Amino acid sequence: MGVISATDVTRRYGEGDAAVDALKGVSLDVPAGQFAAVMGPSGSGKSTLMHILAGLDRPTSGTVSIDGTDISELNDKKLTLLRRHNIGFIFQFFNLLPTLTAEENILLPLQIAGTKPEAEWVESVIERVGLGDRRRHRPAELSGGQQQRVAIARALVSRPTVIFADEPTGNLDSTTGTEILAVLREAVDTYQQTTVMVTHDAGAAAIADRALFLADGLIVRDSPCRDAGDIMAIMADLSAR
Amino acid sequence: MTRYALRSMASHKLRTALTAIAIVLGTAMIAGTFVITDQIRNAFSDIFGTSFAGTDVYLSRRPAFGNGNGQAQVGPLPASLIQQVRQIQGVAKAEGQIQGIGSLVVNGKFVASQGGAPNLVVSTLPKPFNQNTLVEGHYPEASGQVALIQQLADDHHLHVGQHVGLTTLQGVQPVTIVGVFRFGNVSSIGGATVVATTFADAQRWYDRVGKTSTISVDGESGVSPKQLKQRIAAQLPHWVKVQTGAEAAKEQTDEISGAINSFFTPALLAFAGAAVLVGAFVIFNTFSITVAQRMREFAMLRTIGAMRRQVLTTVLGEALMVGVMASVLGILGGVGFAKLLGALFKAVGFGLPLAGISVHLWPGVIVPLAVGVGVTLAASFAPARRATRVPPIAALREGAVLPRTWLSRFTPYIAGLALVAGILLVFAGVTGSGPTTQRLLTIAGGAILSFLGLAMVSRYLIRPLARAIGWPLSLGRGASGRLARENTTRNTGRTAVTAAALMIGIGLVVFFSVLINGFKESFLGSIDKSITSNLIIQSHSQGNPVPLDAVKAAQHVPGVDTAVGIAFTQVKIGNGGTDEANGIDPATLPRLYSIQWQKGGSDALLGRLGAGDALIEEQFAKSHHLSPGSSFEVTSIDGRHVDLQVIGQYKDPVLFSGFMVSQGTYSELTTDRNPQVLLVRYADGANEDATTRAVRDALKPFPDVNVQTNAEFKASFSKQINQLLYLLYILLAMSVVISLFGIVNTLALSVFERTREIGMLRAIGTTRFQLRQTILYESVITAIIGGILGIVIGIVLAWVVALGFRSSGIVFAIPYGQVILSLIVAAIAGAVAAAFPARRAARLNVLDALQYE
Repeated sequence: MGVISATDVTRRYGEGDAAVDALKGVSLDVPAGQFAAVMGPSGSGKSTLMHILAGLDRPTSGTVSIDGTDISELNDKKLTLLRRHNIGFIFQFFNLLPTLTAEENILLPLQIAGTKPEAEWVESVIERVGLGDRRRHRPAELSGGQQQRVAIARALVSRPTVIFADEPTGNLDSTTGTEILAVLREAVDTYQQTTVMVTHDAGAAAIADRALFLADGLIVRDSPCRDAGDIMAIMADLSAR
Repeated sequence: MTRYALRSMASHKLRTALTAIAIVLGTAMIAGTFVITDQIRNAFSDIFGTSFAGTDVYLSRRPAFGNGNGQAQVGPLPASLIQQVRQIQGVAKAEGQIQGIGSLVVNGKFVASQGGAPNLVVSTLPKPFNQNTLVEGHYPEASGQVALIQQLADDHHLHVGQHVGLTTLQGVQPVTIVGVFRFGNVSSIGGATVVATTFADAQRWYDRVGKTSTISVDGESGVSPKQLKQRIAAQLPHWVKVQTGAEAAKEQTDEISGAINSFFTPALLAFAGAAVLVGAFVIFNTFSITVAQRMREFAMLRTIGAMRRQVLTTVLGEALMVGVMASVLGILGGVGFAKLLGALFKAVGFGLPLAGISVHLWPGVIVPLAVGVGVTLAASFAPARRATRVPPIAALREGAVLPRTWLSRFTPYIAGLALVAGILLVFAGVTGSGPTTQRLLTIAGGAILSFLGLAMVSRYLIRPLARAIGWPLSLGRGASGRLARENTTRNTGRTAVTAAALMIGIGLVVFFSVLINGFKESFLGSIDKSITSNLIIQSHSQGNPVPLDAVKAAQHVPGVDTAVGIAFTQVKIGNGGTDEANGIDPATLPRLYSIQWQKGGSDALLGRLGAGDALIEEQFAKSHHLSPGSSFEVTSIDGRHVDLQVIGQYKDPVLFSGFMVSQGTYSELTTDRNPQVLLVRYADGANEDATTRAVRDALKPFPDVNVQTNAEFKASFSKQINQLLYLLYILLAMSVVISLFGIVNTLALSVFERTREIGMLRAIGTTRFQLRQTILYESVITAIIGGILGIVIGIVLAWVVALGFRSSGIVFAIPYGQVILSLIVAAIAGAVAAAFPARRAARLNVLDALQYE
């Protein structure tokens, strides 16, 4: 069994006639160290799947486990601790605290957890994402790409079991987006960091080890990534059906 | 997390400052109250300390009952006692002293003290009792000589050798200034005038022939004051109060302290409390808005592993720091507030001596700090709790909303219940029978509860109110009026709390206006209804009687039909409570005053009012369970007992509370024969103006006597009441000012929130002026809502209180002019509050605003 494992996960929003099934029975396994991309058009359920895998939302049925722990039954406190220690997040809109410097934003998860940061490790992460000279800047003084680098470092710093990235390039221009993906890929390789990225951008998915395609709440294709062209072909194929 | 809270504050300096001001002003009022009461207490402690510094033992007449309000003057001692004391072994020196009230008359005009302080006349004591320092000349040695306290001489350019007059109970006496002195080593005692005379002059002039007010005793060396006191007390009758000098100083200081602690401090703290309550609303609102605006931040913190408690700590940590900072500033500002209060009291005629400023840890620092921090934390707790309910998923989604709590469904009912319960509590407090403090606390608690209740209910009233108030604005050209109206109803909860802060200030203003107007109307009404005389004559100096010679002079003026004095004093009834004894002339009273008889009485009863008979007022009858036919015992302040038989009952709780006895019976209760009030009725057919002039001329020799027609008396009474009202308004102005900062804060945060929308409005052609206008209108609408709510709750609470006091003759009368004025003030306040946020909005760069995320 992988680091992340979901079995027959369904998610229904609303009740009765207004009920919408966002997920209709999804099972997947992500082994340690893998970089998985979840793809699909708008409304395919990919965001819902990520929310459930990250413990931000609960499945209507089915089970989800992270590192062997069944998270579908955890209470708020245990879920918070799980997020604190086992999960890192990278958001589309960065979500940095405007009042803190880049370095302080990076250290925030450690501070919340009350752990003393290891200087060497923190240094290595900051260097890895390429923020060595920008660490004293506030988010407002950083470009979008730099802000997302801060977010990546913040996700890495607590050495989580898994990082979830939600459209990490969605709010960046394509050049910067490519740079950020490279940073992410490098980090995954260097630290053997299990990562799940939700995206609708074929180019982004192409840097992953594996692409899961969602449509109408079901996984319709699960294939290793080769290149963007390949992925676009699959997408085209899916939307043609 | 602390660092995060700190940073958040530092990067929102303006917001933090505006929030802090809400608490700074309230805590400054609390701290200032402690500073000024301390100053007054220390000043009196110094005054009495100096007075008694050279006195080993002090003799005075023992009051028969605790004379807290000082209405009854304790009588004199026989002068023969001085000789008697001198014979006692161990006594080196014993001297009598007379204390009276009188003013100097310079060039025909009498010289008043500053700011309502007393005009004192004292006979000169020799050393070592006399602790004054001579600056010039000498102390009076022969009849007709006086010495003045330095401030009095300086203020009126009086010098040694000058001939002036001194008002006495024997008319104005010509005197010569022979000396100028300092009290101890200060030039003034809180603005009071002090004139020193010889002992013999004071005895003659102030109705004390063969008597002395007090006796000061100096012991031989080797005899301690305590021993001497015991020795003297053993040889004198029990009605002589024997104290050591230190005891006397302490007792007189304690009396002042008691008055401060039981009235002055609580009254000022009540106004500070109102300011703090308003501050709490402002803080609650500011934190609510910022929590809503920072939802994404909190969600992110939760996503990356922050516990709910940690989010709570972040928000409360910010509140804690705001509270501490504001309270410290408030405590420093308290010194300024104390100075302001001192100036205010002087301006309205409550001049008090003030010692130097000193701030003590308890209660001067700790109480305002605890209240400031406590209130800030309490007010921000609900918003902080709400921050913890932000779901982590809000970090990933646009436009997430907070889940409603189960409690919120009941909010309107809880609010309505609180409002009604608050009003009932106020009524219970007014009509209750418990101790005064407990009743006042019940009233205050009820008022707070009703304010909170109305504040919570008001969110459901915002829509209709805003629609009605905004209607005239929406008729104007352009969209400003309509937009403003919509903006106020966009978040009704926010508008409600902002308006509620102003509601409290305006509500209290209206409450006091209505209540005091009712009191004024009932008093003026009683005068119109009952007083049938033409003139009401009193002393200019409070507590000073009208000399009997003045009464005689008035009686002989042609055109005057009746001129009769009315005397009154506090007496103890049976063995519980004190009330007013009124000494009247039964033969002439019906000419001056029409009695509202009860229980079948008529003016014929006055003819039967003989020695030992009393007519009782309805309220007095009720509280002492008396009725015609029953009898009661009264004790005068000097310890004289008189048994009285009730022969009739009347109703006038305003002018003649307590009971009436004939002048003969009254003279058994007090040695002071001079009346407090002189009523003069003209003969039928006499020319009113000419007679008034004639009476004034006849009373010229008594310059401290204030001759007023009924109309003048009513006007000066109204003026005094208005001064009291102005004082209250100034104290309440703080609350209104704090709520203004609340409006500024809410608007500024709303403008920030709507940056993108404002950019859009500007992009499609809204001018800066129109934008400013929109925000101005929004502010004015909110302020008028607050004003209307305040007027409603103020009138309701005043009505409830007036209802409770109906039996004491207090009527409920709305001063419409003042009420409308308070609404106008609210509207203007709203306009002022809009200035800064409107300017900010108008200055936003269109492009930046549009791109703002």
